[in-house]
Amino acid sequence: MLAKIRATFVRDARLAFSYRLWFVTQILTVAASVTSLWFVSHIVPPSSSFGFHGEPTSYFNFAVINVAFLAFQATALSSFERSIRDSQVFGTLEATFATPTSVGLVVLGSAAWTFALTLVTSIAYLLFGMLFGMRLDHLNVLTCLVFLVLTITATAPLGIMSAAAVMALKQGAPVQFLLNTATSILAGVLFPISVLPVWLQYCSWLLPITHALNGIRAGVAGALPGDVAPDLWWLFLASLMLLPLSLWVFGGAVNRAKFDGTLAQY
Amino acid sequence: MSAPSFGGYGLQDTRDSVVVERVSKTFPKQFGYVTWLKHRGRPPRKTVISDISFRVAPGELLGLLGANGAGKSTTLRMLAGLVVPDCGSIIINGVDGREQPLTMRRHLGLCTSEERAFYFRLTARENLEYFGALAGLRGRELGRCILDVIELVDLGADIDTRFDYFSSGMRQRLAVARALLADPAVLLLDEPTRAVDPIHAQAIRTFVRDELVGRRGKTVILATNLLDEAWELCDRIAVLRAGALAAIGAPAELNRTIDTGRNYVIVVDRVDESLLERTRAVPGLLELRMTDEPGGVALRVALDAHPRTLTHLLQAVSANGISVASVRPRDPRPAEVFAEVIGAGVHAR
Repeated sequence: MLAKIRATFVRDARLAFSYRLWFVTQILTVAASVTSLWFVSHIVPPSSSFGFHGEPTSYFNFAVINVAFLAFQATALSSFERSIRDSQVFGTLEATFATPTSVGLVVLGSAAWTFALTLVTSIAYLLFGMLFGMRLDHLNVLTCLVFLVLTITATAPLGIMSAAAVMALKQGAPVQFLLNTATSILAGVLFPISVLPVWLQYCSWLLPITHALNGIRAGVAGALPGDVAPDLWWLFLASLMLLPLSLWVFGGAVNRAKFDGTLAQY
Repeated sequence: MSAPSFGGYGLQDTRDSVVVERVSKTFPKQFGYVTWLKHRGRPPRKTVISDISFRVAPGELLGLLGANGAGKSTTLRMLAGLVVPDCGSIIINGVDGREQPLTMRRHLGLCTSEERAFYFRLTARENLEYFGALAGLRGRELGRCILDVIELVDLGADIDTRFDYFSSGMRQRLAVARALLADPAVLLLDEPTRAVDPIHAQAIRTFVRDELVGRRGKTVILATNLLDEAWELCDRIAVLRAGALAAIGAPAELNRTIDTGRNYVIVVDRVDESLLERTRAVPGLLELRMTDEPGGVALRVALDAHPRTLTHLLQAVSANGISVASVRPRDPRPAEVFAEVIGAGVHAR
């Protein structure tokens, strides 16, 4: 099983490295994004609402960490669907499903490289942030890693279900659009959710990324996983319920496509 | 009604490599959210495969013929597990595709005519490394298998060339290599010589017939539109007509579906102008062609159904000192047999 995931990872890495300029533009995008946040931070004074447990924190720290790790949600939502769509368009999907490889493995393997790349991008955000004076002195690696994994496992199912829609109906589901729109307002990426009306704060609580960013920011501030247990449990239970469900839905969509003879259609 | 089978399913005393039993398939006529909702998740469907059954013995090469849309590719895709039949069963090397799809695919190699089915920005080796890993190969074994198959399809010099620089024929040969990679017992080849130049096409045919089937004992199902290719290579040929099996049998058996009683080859020692004039004057002569043949000239004729026409023709030919070496019924051309099978239908003998 691991050999097949590794082969898919290597395939995607080779494809990515065949577009060398893309890496340069990606790094420049990160640099530009961090630079703009740095300028914005000059007009926003440090506030306790940006920090963990009421500690005053700079807007720059708050925003860079959020933007860096928001990419995981974007990846989780889009990578599966894009991978399936690309395989259909390139004509490789049938060749893949003609091998003795399970549907789940195809799905999970197809996103491995994208997540690795997202991790590198997030680290690049933090490194550029440090160049502009961001401090990571209290970083708790364990907390950050735990929340990183839970961010992926809690948001990936939505992406897998979106890929299932592509497989079954040849059109993407609106889940990505809805979630990205909701995230931009409710998840507290560019501003803390405490500034939202109370009823919107409840809506925000429903989004996995809200809990993920809470946990990551807490980890950067030095908190232990136990200090952010409610967020941790929320993500864990969401993962536990949604991940098997999404794989089941995707398997059903593949079976449906095989029944309708539309596996390679797009 | 089941299709006429010349010689039955063949080799019934051995365990068949491929068993297709009463398989039917329908596809939706339309797709999309609106259609799906309008028909409450059950859009209207059209029949593409209708109750087909056949068996393929180990080491047998079965050709799959049919007009466009007859169901050749759908049949191959069902065999490969890429399309699920509505009903019936498909068993490959004793493994039921519905019950153990992954195990079944271990016995299969699929070569599609879809020349895009590789990663364009990867080399031939990188593509084969990926698909080989998915087929369960790894490490040195994978490397060795890649070198083996790439040499077999004569792409050794291009193994590290990116796929997008490959010509259509090279892509097709790489698809054959991929199908062979994990050394499967059953090979499904969908038009393997499409877009391949004549020299490499002949090399692929020889390779399939002599190496894969002859020496390695592979079971091969070959879907093709090239009738001569099918007649030349296949042990048996299955002809699909509008999703149904119209006929199945050895090429010689299928040839007998044409009434060759009105087609003859008359071999004479020489031909002169007067012979041609006399011959053309025979009432009931529908067609006359001449070809060289060892020991003389062959007159290939088509006659009407009148019982005396052949006698009149032979009298006309043998006048003026010309001797007739032989008279034999002419074998029908594959195209004639195919047209007869898919057009007028075939009657079991």
